[in-house]
Amino acid sequence: MSVDSKSPIFDVKNLSFSTREQDILIDISFKIFHGEYVAIIGPNGGGKTTLIRMLLGLNKPTSGEINIFSKKINKFQEWYKIGYVPQRASLVDTTFPATVQDIVNMGRIAKRKLFSSATKEDKDAVEDAMKKMDIYDLKDKMVGTLSGGQRQRVMIARALASKPEVLILDEPNTGVDINSQRNFYTLLGKLNKQEGITIIFITHDVGVIADDIGRLFTINQKAIICNDPKKMMSCDDMSKLYGVHAHLLHNHKHEH
Amino acid sequence: MEMFEYDFMQRAFIAGIIIAVLASVSGTFIVLRRYSMMSETLAHSALVGVAVGLVAGYNPLWMAVIVAVLSAWLIEYLRSSFTLYSDAVLAIMLSGTLAIAVIIVSLGGAFNNSLFSYLFGSILSVSQEDIVTISLFGSISLGLLLTYSKELYFIAYDEEVAKTSGLKVRFLNYLLVSVSAIIIALSIRVVGSLLIGALMVIPTVSALQYRVGFVKTMIVSLLIALFSVACGMVFSYLFSLPSGATIVLCVLVLFIFSLVINKE
Repeated sequence: MSVDSKSPIFDVKNLSFSTREQDILIDISFKIFHGEYVAIIGPNGGGKTTLIRMLLGLNKPTSGEINIFSKKINKFQEWYKIGYVPQRASLVDTTFPATVQDIVNMGRIAKRKLFSSATKEDKDAVEDAMKKMDIYDLKDKMVGTLSGGQRQRVMIARALASKPEVLILDEPNTGVDINSQRNFYTLLGKLNKQEGITIIFITHDVGVIADDIGRLFTINQKAIICNDPKKMMSCDDMSKLYGVHAHLLHNHKHEH
Repeated sequence: MEMFEYDFMQRAFIAGIIIAVLASVSGTFIVLRRYSMMSETLAHSALVGVAVGLVAGYNPLWMAVIVAVLSAWLIEYLRSSFTLYSDAVLAIMLSGTLAIAVIIVSLGGAFNNSLFSYLFGSILSVSQEDIVTISLFGSISLGLLLTYSKELYFIAYDEEVAKTSGLKVRFLNYLLVSVSAIIIALSIRVVGSLLIGALMVIPTVSALQYRVGFVKTMIVSLLIALFSVACGMVFSYLFSLPSGATIVLCVLVLFIFSLVINKE
């Protein structure tokens, strides 16, 4: 997917984040545009999750600036435009009293006005999201009884129910079997190409999806942004940043 | 039913039913939010208010509401602002506030049946004025909980995701703890501060055993609380037992029943 000339969804300038003990991210700048498909890779502890937590307003940067839809992050209100699927998506508390529909309904709550009940638009959006994720038949099932792969689809349906323009996913395949992972990648590709949803996700399986992704961000304190992921696979910079994993990923790509 | 011929029994029943509704509905959010231990702590903090009220001659119920709400804010502030061991903070506050309450009452020379009745509940001494206070504040609290029920449910499910979807999580957390503090303070007159935690937590935990959706869980929890309060009061009348403890024993029996019949 080519980078278009419209204003970026995320405009990140000189972003740094440090704790008392150490620097987690140093001087990161990038822009992400409408319709892009961005994968973020990097070693554990390299700052990937911190970066997306800052994009979501969950962590405040130590220095630097984040603009979302051309607004400073602290002035940005339309969070329903951004769907977030956290790392623990498939590892939900199995005793929590929620049907699939209860969870997907949550995606509409922030949009609803006080004292108003669900409108037809809300109901349609929830139904549509469940159908897209192929979980409509499971709508009355308790989430705790589903498999890891099914739960993962429920979480994405919840994010989709708010009709987001961007989906941010943090290693969403933790605890999900191989077949479900493959279906999941196909689905992400479809959401990006057919629905035009911008996708940003952290993954370890970049080799599998190199054909789909538009850009690859390698994060290890600093960022290296590669506009052609296939070249990135053999790029020396990546080895420096990612260490031994670069070779693993390279091999992984050839296996598939 | 000769027990209903007495005015005090009628008042006891009305107060009991109102508390059952308040405790079980707020309890559903408290348990799902993993705040169960907080309800115990707030019940003990409320005793400081009761103690001040008894010694200084103010209405103990009002003082209990004020102190419980202030404690709830302090707990929520500590929880959200610092990475403390939150269960340890609750344990410290629980014993600390109980100690303060006992010292205040004993210094004021009021260590008598009044405090005892707030510790264990004294449903038979509920006055008409108490019922008005409980109904008024209870309906405001219940109204707030139901108005924000979907938001509170979402936050209980996943606080961070709720935050990223644009919900005012901080405001809603403070709302939940404030409303719960009010309900706890109102309830200690009826079931006592040692037992209100049980009435908030056990009906919901029992309802969770049936593995049904959110609304059904809340309804089952409500039915369990109502049934326990009604049975508890009848047994308490028939066998001259303390009302609060009898109610809690009835909830416990239903909890064990729910556990057994839902065992996989």
